[in-house]
Amino acid sequence: MAYHDELIAHAELLATLPDAPRQADMRRAVSAAYYALFHLLTSEAAGNWKNINQQARFARMLDHGKMKNASSKISNQKAPTDPALVLIFDNLKLVTDNFVTLQQERLSADYGNSKVWSRTQVFEAIIQAQDA
Amino acid sequence: MPYLPRGVAQPLELVKSLNALQPFLPPAVVNWRYTIDNDWSGDPSLFFWITLSDEAAKPQNLPRITKYVTGVITQHINPRGQWGLIPYVSFRSQSEQSALKEEVFE
Repeated sequence: MAYHDELIAHAELLATLPDAPRQADMRRAVSAAYYALFHLLTSEAAGNWKNINQQARFARMLDHGKMKNASSKISNQKAPTDPALVLIFDNLKLVTDNFVTLQQERLSADYGNSKVWSRTQVFEAIIQAQDA
Repeated sequence: MPYLPRGVAQPLELVKSLNALQPFLPPAVVNWRYTIDNDWSGDPSLFFWITLSDEAAKPQNLPRITKYVTGVITQHINPRGQWGLIPYVSFRSQSEQSALKEEVFE
């Protein structure tokens, strides 16, 4: 199983633990959902780096904030008029929209102590990571 | 010169637009609120806090209803395109909110 798939499975496990949801489990699940998408994107990008010996180093260079800005630029664009490009754009926009949302949720889950997470909110984060 | 999003520059217009959203939301939306704030990186954002019926929030129904509601918001408000605000939509069930009583959802 690829690492990003393991992270999704980990998030699902935490989100579906029996008894009343514990905030530590809910917050770690949201974080895992974000990192599933983050690692998918960085590993795919690194896989296109020609020098195989530098791929891991390349992946580590990718920055959360810059990836958010790049994603937002795509999310802000209007759909292309060329019908052949519409589906590609829609799929790409789904990824960038969900990346921006999940990053905000992850920051809130990891550092926002005042926010209380419900199971439904966590399920939604996992769904977004899976869709992307 | 820093860019001022329309949603921040014209808050009353934004509120009018948000108020017009209600008829387009499905009955599964029991309650909805919004706040305008910056996200973690300082980008002006529009946060939606949506309470769903317990039935709609069941895992088997959740993907469909959240996509539908998010689509309604995008179609009728278009936070990014029309208002320069990043939309963030948060869902929880009615029974969860009854137990958690988080203010932003009230």
